[in-house]
Amino acid sequence: MIIVNEASQIELANLQTEQMFGYSRKELLHQSVDVLLPAGLRAAHRDHRAHAEAPVNRREMGVGMNVVGLRKDGTEFPVEVSLSQLEGVGERTVIASVRDITGRREAAFERAREMSELSHSNEALEQFAHIASHDLQEPLRMVASYTQLLAKRYRGRLDADADVFIDFAVDGTQRMKQLIQDLLLYSRAGKGTAPTHEFASEEALREALKNLGAAIEETGAVVTYDRLPVVNCVSSELAQVFQNLIGNAIHYHSESVPHVHVSALSKNWEWEFSISDNGIGIDPRYFERIFLIFQRLHGSADYKGTGIGLAICKRILQQQGGRIWVESELGHGSIFHFALPMR
Amino acid sequence: MQTGHDSANPIQVLLVDDNPGDTRLTMEAFKDAKVHLTMHVAKDGIEATEFLMGEGAFVGSPRPDLILLDLNLPRKDGREVLAEIKANPSLKTIPVVILTTSAADVDIERSYMHHANCYISKPVDLEGFLTVVRSIDDFWLSVVKLPPGEAA
Repeated sequence: MIIVNEASQIELANLQTEQMFGYSRKELLHQSVDVLLPAGLRAAHRDHRAHAEAPVNRREMGVGMNVVGLRKDGTEFPVEVSLSQLEGVGERTVIASVRDITGRREAAFERAREMSELSHSNEALEQFAHIASHDLQEPLRMVASYTQLLAKRYRGRLDADADVFIDFAVDGTQRMKQLIQDLLLYSRAGKGTAPTHEFASEEALREALKNLGAAIEETGAVVTYDRLPVVNCVSSELAQVFQNLIGNAIHYHSESVPHVHVSALSKNWEWEFSISDNGIGIDPRYFERIFLIFQRLHGSADYKGTGIGLAICKRILQQQGGRIWVESELGHGSIFHFALPMR
Repeated sequence: MQTGHDSANPIQVLLVDDNPGDTRLTMEAFKDAKVHLTMHVAKDGIEATEFLMGEGAFVGSPRPDLILLDLNLPRKDGREVLAEIKANPSLKTIPVVILTTSAADVDIERSYMHHANCYISKPVDLEGFLTVVRSIDDFWLSVVKLPPGEAA
């Protein structure tokens, strides 16, 4: 806090001012307030003061303006200044409370940097996915076709080892093909060309259940849900999130018949959906890992899949400004939560 | 008018593809074809044009009854070759089957705009590929009546 008189002289400065600007109070006393301003701002500041009508009402100098402070050591830093008239003293004596907003600026820069990083990584991913779908597909097709042709023509005509080798090669190409397809799905997730709109989230859930019909029938799974809210996002993407989460809940079932329940509540301007199941559960140390692309906790012999479902959910929700997380205990089912911002 | 095709008078197929692996695979797949056919191969767009015009290394080449055309080719692109065939009065009646790795909407649309007779994306796995070749054999070489060849 600094008190400045009509002649722009510093009448009083507090401890914070000393620390912020690096001067002792003695040094500042009766100095022109100019010492705290970079040379380039001094004229503008004088002009500003000369034209400011007295009485000075409380106003924020920092709002919408780049106000910069000058330290004793010559370094500059961003500040926000609010002014108020000091009553009962000189006519134009003002109290300036000066706040160092370096941290706030840095946070804003950090956010902007994160956003631009996200958009760069999206671009890089799209580029990679394009390469994967076209350029990698060609050699893969050659390897896959010719190992399959070998299998078709020469199975049982070489020796037993040869048959095993061919099978491994064929199996490898099939998994590679699935991975490429899944990578493409992932790169497209959340980049839907469909616009966001308001709709009953129950519609998206029903769509997901329709697509899961075969799995539900096969396992005898029971899926229930509460009243669900109207949300604002891309309906096909929400259906995809429901489908992947409920699909997992059914897929990773325990000995008992799968029970899945979907609920939603509003919390801090978000809709928080929860999908709980009575499946095999997840060890808490894997809570982060399961959302990464192609990360799997089980061998493909036990549970099929490439490990794309949760990564796609996370990507869709991220692109919508939402979040996804899990609560679980090994052997005691899981609850997947996701939050969508209300708009 | 039914054009008879037998071992003495086989169907002439021109395959335009730069990938020897694909070429061989297509030829292997056609080995089980129901009809007698002779497969000719052009490795790029220029060779395809030369074959069709009976120029260069292809003097005296037969007029194909069916063309299997890849789109991404060196020297001259398959899209250009297609446009040329369909703009040439003496060639435009030859059915052109686009057989390519591209599944891009823009390629599909443009191919049909240039009067491709059909568009097929090469399946990644062998069974899919064999099925595609079998359907070409079934449909284009057996079911469909092809226009009588001008030179044949």
